[in-house]
Amino acid sequence: MIIGTPKELFEGENRVAMTPASAKELQKLGHSCVIETKAGQAAGFSDKDYKDAGVEVVKTAAALWKAAEIVAKVRAPNESEMKRLSADQTLISFFSPVADEAKMKSAARKGATVVAMEMIPRISRAQKMDALSSMANIAGYRAVIEAGNNFPRFFTGQITAAGKVPPAKVLVVGAGVAGLAAIGTSTSLGAITYAFDVRPEVAEQVESMGAEFVYLDFEEEQADGASSGGYASVSSPEFAAAQLAKFREIAPDMDIVITTALIPNREAPELWTEDMVKSMKPGSVIVDLAAEKGGNCKLTVMDEKIVTDNGVTIIGYTDFPSRMAAQSSTLYATNIRHLMTDLTPEKDGVVDHDMEDDVIRGATIAHAKDVTFPPPPPKIQAIAAQPKAEVVELTAEEKRAAEVAAFKAQTKQQVTLLAVGAALLLGVGLVAPASFMQHFIVFVLAIFVGFQVIWGVAHSLHTPLMAVTNAISSIIILGALMQIGSGSFLVILLAALAVFMTGINIFGGFLVTRRMLAMFQKS
Amino acid sequence: MEFGFTTAAYVVAAVLFILSLGGLSGQESAKRAVWYGIVGMALAVAATLIGPGSGFWLLSILLIAGGGAIGYQLATRVQMTQMPELVAAMHSLVGLAAVFVGFIAHFEMGRVAALVAAGVDLSDLGTFAALIAKKTSVELGILRVELFLGIFIGAITFTGSVIAYGKLAGKVDSAAKKLPGGHLHNIAAAAVAVITLIWYFNTGGFFPLFLMTLAALFIGYHLIMGIGGADMPVVVSMLNSYSGWAAAAIGFSLGNDLLIVVGALVGSSGAILSYIMCKAMNRSFVSVILGGFGGPAGEQMAVEGEQIAIEADGVATALEEADSVVIIPGYGMAVAQAQQNVAELTRRLRAKGKTVRFAIHPVAGRLPGHMNVLLAEAKVPYDIVMEMDEINEDFPDTDVAIVIGSNDIVNPAAQDDPNSPIAGMPVLECWKAKQVFVSKRGQGTGYSGIENPLFFKENTRMFYGDAKASLDALLSKI
Repeated sequence: MIIGTPKELFEGENRVAMTPASAKELQKLGHSCVIETKAGQAAGFSDKDYKDAGVEVVKTAAALWKAAEIVAKVRAPNESEMKRLSADQTLISFFSPVADEAKMKSAARKGATVVAMEMIPRISRAQKMDALSSMANIAGYRAVIEAGNNFPRFFTGQITAAGKVPPAKVLVVGAGVAGLAAIGTSTSLGAITYAFDVRPEVAEQVESMGAEFVYLDFEEEQADGASSGGYASVSSPEFAAAQLAKFREIAPDMDIVITTALIPNREAPELWTEDMVKSMKPGSVIVDLAAEKGGNCKLTVMDEKIVTDNGVTIIGYTDFPSRMAAQSSTLYATNIRHLMTDLTPEKDGVVDHDMEDDVIRGATIAHAKDVTFPPPPPKIQAIAAQPKAEVVELTAEEKRAAEVAAFKAQTKQQVTLLAVGAALLLGVGLVAPASFMQHFIVFVLAIFVGFQVIWGVAHSLHTPLMAVTNAISSIIILGALMQIGSGSFLVILLAALAVFMTGINIFGGFLVTRRMLAMFQKS
Repeated sequence: MEFGFTTAAYVVAAVLFILSLGGLSGQESAKRAVWYGIVGMALAVAATLIGPGSGFWLLSILLIAGGGAIGYQLATRVQMTQMPELVAAMHSLVGLAAVFVGFIAHFEMGRVAALVAAGVDLSDLGTFAALIAKKTSVELGILRVELFLGIFIGAITFTGSVIAYGKLAGKVDSAAKKLPGGHLHNIAAAAVAVITLIWYFNTGGFFPLFLMTLAALFIGYHLIMGIGGADMPVVVSMLNSYSGWAAAAIGFSLGNDLLIVVGALVGSSGAILSYIMCKAMNRSFVSVILGGFGGPAGEQMAVEGEQIAIEADGVATALEEADSVVIIPGYGMAVAQAQQNVAELTRRLRAKGKTVRFAIHPVAGRLPGHMNVLLAEAKVPYDIVMEMDEINEDFPDTDVAIVIGSNDIVNPAAQDDPNSPIAGMPVLECWKAKQVFVSKRGQGTGYSGIENPLFFKENTRMFYGDAKASLDALLSKI
């Protein structure tokens, strides 16, 4: 197959979808490559470099579109490129099936196949083709560099002969790929870096990069990112409020804020409000990587750098990858090359567009005259979801039936016990004299009370319970006291001994209980 | 008038005692509850001294004060690890007192009968004697049964507690031991007791009572000798219960309602504790009391794998990386006196922001709630000390579980191997944690003599050595 890459038409786009290195690899798969003249110039690749790599260089875009069976580019095609797209041609590029829905439909009508790079599913196997991640990585790095360029102080703290310099404090909001790259860059420049994300499970990653995770004082189970393909999902209003409160608290302390919070196919959430910007020190820098989707800070102006009245610089560039075109082109071209490897499994230059394959199916949005977006859910879960406790859901009737059965069993047991108890009591009452029965009633009632009371005793207090029951079982002292005065020497001796021993017990028991209880402390 | 006052005081005391036990439902209310008990006891004793306890009140107070001084010494000096011994020793005192009071009642009966026979005027007799003098012959018969029971239970409590004390204090070999013939001796002694009861009921002589006392003392001795170390929580709570029933029986014979009420309270308390302990071991009360583990019901599962040892460094590294740690203390921690080291480890880990909790099995240690008291002594806050049911579900989310001196209560065979002698016993499922460290002296088996598959699991590492020394080594690395 012939793979062609035209010059990007988008204003200021410096990237190119094919590099001399990637072209060599593509040829190894049995493909041949063409490129429009000067397509790689902005990224630092000359036509000669391409020729040396065995790439045919054509003069015009029209010729390229005619020659290529597969067109690989960076930006989504514009109107004129859409016209050039022909049936049976395959287009590989960034292509938002939501924003560019009309183009997607027209491509499908023509019978062209469109593979959208942002639709590559987030599964381990597809990481090598994940252009969003590789671009985000660059954006995160560049955001810090761009911030540093506009920040009038050092990142790292220094103690010099000319005085002490405090380290810069950097907050990264959103610890996705871009956020993590920003954290890594920022910490290696020596700044004290803080990071926040709505997905609590990334705290570990954040901390592994050397930043401090900003925890909220908020008790709610956040949706595990694993359920939404590793992306953040929309959070509850309470959570959002807690998050804003935390940001407001730390805003005056921060020198550089880099916001990267994006939710797929939605406007960017507002995380850095106007009052937070106002509370920041003059000279502080905000880099809003979500500028393209409206910005995490509402003051952000897309594609521009502004300075607020209180001297805070807000950078809303959306072309960070393009600003590092050599690097980003290399990575993007490699992503494309990996995709082609998957598309040509036999390495014989024949493309097998396998719609059963999770990755290819997911990324293809138009194929065989059909719109194939949205794709079915991938067969493999993106990230192993944290196993949640499995609760067997009983239906209401089953629950009710179980309750009724339990209640019946309990009633039966209680009634049986009561009947047996009552029969025994009556039996005793038949033979025993009234004076005995009086005491006996007291005895039975006391046991009953005892059972009711003791069940409530906390497990951890069983030892004190034993000590205290020990002390009060020395109530037997009363028996000895009542008899000590009556008659014979033997009686007095025995009673005196009993009083003495129970005396030990009463004092010992209560004191040791008090000692133990005093030790129980709350944290 | 005096008696009316005494009865009123008894009612108040009874209410206070009930409140005192009920207050133990929470750590904070418990501190108040003890005072209820103390006031109740003071009230009861004072009311008795003023009322029916006529004569010799000065002697009584002196004796109480003397006993109190000894009690004070004991209570303030005892180590928390010695708590089981103290409790057992105190039970024996209650048992012996019950025996004495029972004998006194018997002597009084004889004296009154002699006086009645001589036709002497009975008006200046002591209060108890006056009470007896009014009784009809049926009531006297019942009285005999009551005091007989009081002495019987008291005597069993006495020798049983003495043996339990000896075993807990290490003065008597804690292994289960029986005289040749086993339970036949107990049965014989019980038969003697029944025969003497009938004999005594008919004659009222001293000899059958004395004979029965000897039989009961023997039962107490032999019964407890036959029960091994790890069953001690059940034994101690059972003796606790007996001391209550003895008091209640004496209360019947003296016609004293307060004694009956308190005896019943204590008796039911001990019974419930025994029940809880037995349930925690999945064994019936009878099988515990009759002593020893039965032989295995069938071929036990063979344990595969090997025990892998680890040094303090490895444990320290794993703890540094862990976020949540659960510590499972057992009797070994008490023996090694390692609770302070455990508490120090907890403090350090908590200072690093890790979640540290304790999992307490109901029968860990030698006394119900023993571990809780030891940890409290070492100033571990009680709200991180969890019961088995509270924490068992959390083990899969736990990074590191540390087992310190426990064995059978963390044995997975209880769940996996239906032929295991401890099959069905609820256990702490610590093997579900990502990593388990077992601090243990050597490779031996636990009390029950059963191999513990936990030690052979892939995620288990054995941290051999005395618990205290091991923890010292560990603390120096954290």
